[in-house]
Amino acid sequence: MVKMLMAIPDRCTGCGRCEEACSFEHFNIIDPSLSAIHVVRLENEPLDAPTFCIECGLCAMPGVCPENAIYRDPNTYAVIIDRNKCDGCTNCIVVCPYGVITLDHIEKKAVKCDLCGGDPQCVKACPEGALAYLEANDAAYYKRYFFAELQKKGMVPIVPYPSPRTREAI
Amino acid sequence: MDEWYGYTGKILRVDLSKNKIIIDDLKREWAKLYIGGLGFAAKIMWDEQVPLIDPLSPDNLLIATAGPMTGTLAPGSGNIFWAFKSPQTNFWGETRSGGKFGPFLKFSGFDMIIVKGKSEKPVYLYLEGGNAEIRNATHLWGMTVHQTTDTLKREVGAKDISIATIGPGGENLVKYASIMNDYDRAAGRSGGGTVMGSKKLKAIVAAGGYGVRVYDPEKFISLSYEAENAIISDPGNRAMGAHGTVGGLMGLNAMGGLPTQNFRTGYFDKARKISADYLENNYMIKRRACYSCTIGCSRYSYVAAGPFATPPNEGPEYETVDMSGAMPMIDNMEAIIRYNYMANNYGIDTITLGHTISWAIEAYEMGMITEKETGGIKLKWGDAETFLTLVDMIAYRKGFGNLLAEGSYWAAKKIGKGSEDLVNHVKGLEFPAHDPRVESKFLAIQYSVGPRGACHEHPIYPSYDMMGVDSGLRDVGLPWPLPDRLEEVGVNRGKAYRVIALYGEVINSLGYCNFYAATNETGSLSPKRLAALYSSLTGFNLTPLQIFEAGERSWNLKRAFNLREGLEKSHDKLPKRMEIPILSGPAKGLKVEKPNELLEEAYEGFGWDKETGYIKEETLKKLGLDDVADYLRKINKLK
Repeated sequence: MVKMLMAIPDRCTGCGRCEEACSFEHFNIIDPSLSAIHVVRLENEPLDAPTFCIECGLCAMPGVCPENAIYRDPNTYAVIIDRNKCDGCTNCIVVCPYGVITLDHIEKKAVKCDLCGGDPQCVKACPEGALAYLEANDAAYYKRYFFAELQKKGMVPIVPYPSPRTREAI
Repeated sequence: MDEWYGYTGKILRVDLSKNKIIIDDLKREWAKLYIGGLGFAAKIMWDEQVPLIDPLSPDNLLIATAGPMTGTLAPGSGNIFWAFKSPQTNFWGETRSGGKFGPFLKFSGFDMIIVKGKSEKPVYLYLEGGNAEIRNATHLWGMTVHQTTDTLKREVGAKDISIATIGPGGENLVKYASIMNDYDRAAGRSGGGTVMGSKKLKAIVAAGGYGVRVYDPEKFISLSYEAENAIISDPGNRAMGAHGTVGGLMGLNAMGGLPTQNFRTGYFDKARKISADYLENNYMIKRRACYSCTIGCSRYSYVAAGPFATPPNEGPEYETVDMSGAMPMIDNMEAIIRYNYMANNYGIDTITLGHTISWAIEAYEMGMITEKETGGIKLKWGDAETFLTLVDMIAYRKGFGNLLAEGSYWAAKKIGKGSEDLVNHVKGLEFPAHDPRVESKFLAIQYSVGPRGACHEHPIYPSYDMMGVDSGLRDVGLPWPLPDRLEEVGVNRGKAYRVIALYGEVINSLGYCNFYAATNETGSLSPKRLAALYSSLTGFNLTPLQIFEAGERSWNLKRAFNLREGLEKSHDKLPKRMEIPILSGPAKGLKVEKPNELLEEAYEGFGWDKETGYIKEETLKKLGLDDVADYLRKINKLK
């Protein structure tokens, strides 16, 4: 069965080992700016979030890549950028909704998650179990939770209802 | 082989007086002799530092250095080390911090930064891709650590960067100012921030753009993952990750080793209210980790409302909790979190700060400090509001704060009246929150001979006898079994401490965190693991014993540095309080029985002279440090 890369952000401590492992796997050097996974840390809020490609395939749509360098791997279902063809035009970066395609600073070509051919190194490197490579059907279960999270209402302070100001307005 | 693996091979030299930058090549032979990190720093400080200068003069060097393992997948390698002559002790100063500044220093293309001179106006350093520039920081001067970091992040724009900076503490030359990086990570002890402030260097920005290369990728990655899996499955490390450094607080209290009331006692009856459980259940939001760390001991906490409301920030650590909790007898976790936030944001060492105020409270209670000195402020145990007011006053050197900003050692010298006897220090550096009377006599030795003064983590946390573990040190000559923690002399303590201290030197030279050296062999970075990881990363093949020899070199270089600065045996003396039995609690009556014999045994262990503490010539010759021996002979400090 096809698998999918998932994050459990509550568990992430922001150690960045996934970034190191990713750049090492793809470039043979350790440099987080070359990584296809980035841990976003908000300093004044409790958030360490691993951000990476969810393999949606927007960048592989016809008309995006002028070199036709982007295709979907039939085995891992990952969307792959053929770096031999890439000319660094950044069109794929424009269409990517999550900002997880980047230009590397060495060759100026697009960097994107390729699921390491079905053996993601970031999952291996994570000491917290915050990254998982799951069977699609299991992943779908967790995906629903993320979808639900988007619909969550923000907490508001408890105020007398209707509040004095609303009453005035009425 | 001219390529560098693991190392970047570049040293950045900055002369702020001349506004000049030079990029130097690293010498290949140094890698085997000194390894890196604080080992390199010791070599540079010995070779280049002008002896007997004022630590706040432009001549003092400020060295920032990362180890060869830093910025790689080796677990726990995300560290930055600073070395300088300490304004607190006038001896060797070194301090370490986690976060991601160390790795980003490497990712910016440098193993090491050596800053000298003094700028006329405030400046900051910008590093990227092996280049560096000095930039104007006039607009940043006066800002707190968080403000500076936020402002610089906005200025640099769309890049993942890491920033080390000083706060108002360093600017105002508070003697124990820290260098902060990544908001809340502190290189706190021995006054690195003060030296940085005296140079008018506000911040260093590391912006990446360089990749660390690996000599044997397959071997290195398999060794890293092997170590990672072993470390995270060790129960001790798991507990450290789950409960942080403060997790040990209740245990220490139960054995009577929780420094309380300025070390009068080791038992705090309200310890539960400042414990890890209390923090986790009420104020902690999540865990955080330094770069490349597999333990993740950092707390991330906040106080929602009330007089001590605090925005979310990292901490507090055990040391901070004790120094602002049990020491001044404050049983309020909210005040502690607020204190941690304030001290970090001002860029002041939380240990010396809390310790100094606790000293002031005791001296006030005993009538040595009066309201005349405090400017009308009444000091008493357990008064959180006054405690935090003093933090403000110290950061800006206002009123009574101006005196306390010197630290308890120097303040007591000014005050006199016997208040010197209340200071718990060695060489001028205040004790951290570990009591050598109770925990382990290794701690007593380390506090005495530690190059930077009384410290529980430099070179290493030595209480292996208390923990009953060896970290694989038996391979390199640790006598086993270790003596009982309270036995003092005649039990091979000196010989054992030598191996332990050198282990710390090795860890600090390679660029690791000490918390990876505190369990049994399988769960820590044992000497075997260190050697295998280092060799596969750098291509320099070193055995565990060779690595330990390099550690011994840096250990003796630091000693030689201190001897050159005027160190005598009297500077290695424990404070008076350690010979006074503990007043109350489970450890009532314990004291350091034979401090002098302990010290002499340690000297002998290191190959130093028993009577004077000078290094023996044969010890230096064995390590190939003949030039050091020649210098010490000239100043009559060689035996």
